[in-house]
Amino acid sequence: MKNIFSISSLIILVLLGFTSCNKNKKNATGELEITFEHVWGMGESAFNLNTNYVQPMNNEELNFSTFKYYVSNIILTKEDGTLWKDTNSYYLIDLSKPSSLSLALSRVPVGTYKSMTYTLGVDSLRNVSGVQTGALSTTNGMFWNWNSGYIMLKAEGTSPSSSSGSFAYHLGGFSGQFNIVTTKTVNFDTEKLMINNDHACEIHMKANPAKLFHNDAITNGANIMMPGSRAKSMSLNFYGSVSFEHLHN
Amino acid sequence: MFDIFYHGKLDKKWSRLFVAAPFFTLLLISSCTKENVSDFQAQAPAYFPKPNYTQHIQGYTKGRFELGKKLFFDPLLSTDYSTSCASCHSQTHGFADHNVRFSSGIYGRKGVRNTPSIANMIWYPVFGWDGGVNHLEIFHLTPLTNELEMGTDINGVLNRLNHNQNYRDLFKTHYGVEQISDYELFKALTLYISQIQSFQTKYDQYRQGKVSFSLAEQKGYALFKSHCASCHSEPLFSNFSYQNNGLDSVFADSGRGKITNEITDFGKFRVPSLRNVALTYPYMHDGRFWDLKEVLDHYSDGIVENSQNLSPELKKGMNLSDAKKQQLITFLNTLTDYKLLSDKRFY
Repeated sequence: MKNIFSISSLIILVLLGFTSCNKNKKNATGELEITFEHVWGMGESAFNLNTNYVQPMNNEELNFSTFKYYVSNIILTKEDGTLWKDTNSYYLIDLSKPSSLSLALSRVPVGTYKSMTYTLGVDSLRNVSGVQTGALSTTNGMFWNWNSGYIMLKAEGTSPSSSSGSFAYHLGGFSGQFNIVTTKTVNFDTEKLMINNDHACEIHMKANPAKLFHNDAITNGANIMMPGSRAKSMSLNFYGSVSFEHLHN
Repeated sequence: MFDIFYHGKLDKKWSRLFVAAPFFTLLLISSCTKENVSDFQAQAPAYFPKPNYTQHIQGYTKGRFELGKKLFFDPLLSTDYSTSCASCHSQTHGFADHNVRFSSGIYGRKGVRNTPSIANMIWYPVFGWDGGVNHLEIFHLTPLTNELEMGTDINGVLNRLNHNQNYRDLFKTHYGVEQISDYELFKALTLYISQIQSFQTKYDQYRQGKVSFSLAEQKGYALFKSHCASCHSEPLFSNFSYQNNGLDSVFADSGRGKITNEITDFGKFRVPSLRNVALTYPYMHDGRFWDLKEVLDHYSDGIVENSQNLSPELKKGMNLSDAKKQQLITFLNTLTDYKLLSDKRFY
């Protein structure tokens, strides 16, 4: 009798221990910071607003006053294949606001992750669902007032290659043949992302605005204000330059 | 003052409360909830489709309605404090402008298209003459920021509202926010506009068997069904398609083509609703026809046949006699909603 009691209490204790462990594991979360670094051209010099550049392929001179684009819907995949989705995951990267270049994700479950999926642009649902908040607010100047939809990438500045002296590329399109919303996945190779509740992990990304003019030029037209084939090729060329650099666990 | 619409219902409720004293508390609770729900929407006739926008009807409170109304009438929303929503969407004119071809906006600037009615917008799939706006909540951004209309920067208008203690208090009370953002502003305007519903016309009474049509109205209705209803479909009197109705051979305004950039969309405009049409003259996207007779003259024998993307149905011309035109006009007059025009909630 005594034995049975002690055995059963042992089992209960072990079970309790397990559940509490599991619970701890389940609740333990950490932070992740995804930082976007911007470089220019093949030499990959630091890219900044209000700085003179030469586009290496077409030799056009240009100077950006605005460079903004959306990153959204960040999803992390664990080694066992389970997904963690960042909620309300919309970020506006705005080169005039240094704080916007780092996306701070919190409450990421502790664990080892093998890949990250992210979207450049804003998914079609949010383009058709009325007024939104935060990064998607119309106060950010990234929503067309005459042809509903998000300007997913806005690049403005000056260039002697433009007859007016300035350029403005408002690139968007969330449906049909001119859809520019692009989802990409980064597979972490040898070094996996290990989210922990001790300190924030960091992912470093790189993007190259010179790629906007890959096989294109300001002389082809200094303004784009609506979705279309050129808006698509320019944005996809830039999106192609967005890449994973390294991570810090 | 604006309570009159509710008085009948409230009176009934209160008397019920006193009679059924034991259920006082229960009834009080139910009456409270009921008071917050717009009964108006529930009255839409059975032959109306389900609205595309219901959350603003569900979120209705009298306080929110009054806040939306205050905003709707407030020229503070325009750059030069000259123009409110109500400046161009007048109840007395079926919520279109005051019978002008092009509306005046800030600094007296003229718009480029005739102002359409904003009644029944909860049933609309898209907004504007070219269907460029895809959601009722986001619709407000267009007149607010258009440089010919209210011409504000959205941040500027929010700054004004946030520096206005009255608005701060109202938004805090009705939307629970300390800081007013475009989110609450657009929600409040949408809630007000959602209430502008037109379904109490003579036509609607006739559809419900409550009144009969005169002989001329009957004949006009029959002509309407055979000549007009394929695009101006009942009961909203639009199928919301894009059509070129043969006004021009060269397009001064590319219409739907401006939105899609498709060659097959140039010169097309969204079919407008004909509810309250007798009041919303002048007609067409550019207000070129002053009265319904001119409109029917156009459809009868004024169609520009070589107009690119012309609606196939209009190619032949309707070839209407003057008597038939008059019958059609007599029918169109049954689409005037005097109940809406005199609804005290809106003035």
